[in-house]
Amino acid sequence: MGSGRDWTWFHRLGSPRWFYETTGRWLPLLWAVTLALLVVGLVWGLLYAPQDAKQGNSFRIIYLHVPVSFLALAGYYIMAIAGAVGLIWKMKLSYMVMKSAAPLGAALTFLALFTGAVWGKPTWGTYWVWDARITSMLILLFLYLGVLALQYAFHSQDTGNKASAMLALVGTVNIPIIYKSVDWWYTLHQPATIKLTSAPSMHPDMFKPLLVMILAMYCFYALVLILNTRVEILQRERKTGWVRDLARQADTGPDNQ
Amino acid sequence: MSMQFESFQQAWDMAGHGPYVWTAVLVSVFVLCWLMQRPLVQHRKSLNSIAVQMRREKMRQATNPEEHS
Repeated sequence: MGSGRDWTWFHRLGSPRWFYETTGRWLPLLWAVTLALLVVGLVWGLLYAPQDAKQGNSFRIIYLHVPVSFLALAGYYIMAIAGAVGLIWKMKLSYMVMKSAAPLGAALTFLALFTGAVWGKPTWGTYWVWDARITSMLILLFLYLGVLALQYAFHSQDTGNKASAMLALVGTVNIPIIYKSVDWWYTLHQPATIKLTSAPSMHPDMFKPLLVMILAMYCFYALVLILNTRVEILQRERKTGWVRDLARQADTGPDNQ
Repeated sequence: MSMQFESFQQAWDMAGHGPYVWTAVLVSVFVLCWLMQRPLVQHRKSLNSIAVQMRREKMRQATNPEEHS
């Protein structure tokens, strides 16, 4: 029963070299798609989408705020799952992915808070309120920074990996709180614009560029996560033959003619 | 679907909301660009530092052959 199942793909996935070489082939396409979607989505949303009847033009910040917030949250799951895979199967590649996701997630969470604050001023009359949604996003930022800090807090890489993964897993409690905060508490933050279970509350002309931007941010996230992980692979595998070969090929130093 | 603003000035001003919208856009674009260029620089630096270390090993081996025998 299932014992004959082929698991080689899973082990191959755990090989840093396989990851490095495979993603190297995807990167040109991923770069092109990401940049094209970002430019199209931004120009469409900022200049061509109709303005909101109540909020006027300030609502255009949604084309940044919602996509970066989406990925700030989804990225936390990716980081926590990578940490869990590392703890359970001791897969070193997944610890590298976890570490690569932390600065990326922290930057996106910062952007979610920043664009939210700048949007809050013309809409609510204030940059910041200690409301449930916003405060739980701030906690998310600290969790990302905590995972990152723990990576550098120990002499042993292995201890740092385990400590980061534990914090990442414990912190997942915060994610459903963020999602549900607008329903559970009475908050200033408006309810979710997009729900999987119901039709969007936006006009299609406003909604389409938002979808493009969300897609663009997913591609952006994948791109940067892959780029970060490749750097991490080079640094942690620097003693291996294949990385040394790569360095030799890239080397343009004086005595390598 | 049509352009919502008639002039560059209008797009910049956005009926008074321009400063908020464009601040959000500029900061976001800056952070996204920074996130993309950071690993590119680090990738090059990592390969360079590995190459430098390999050259150093080679030199040490050349001047001091018995150390590695």
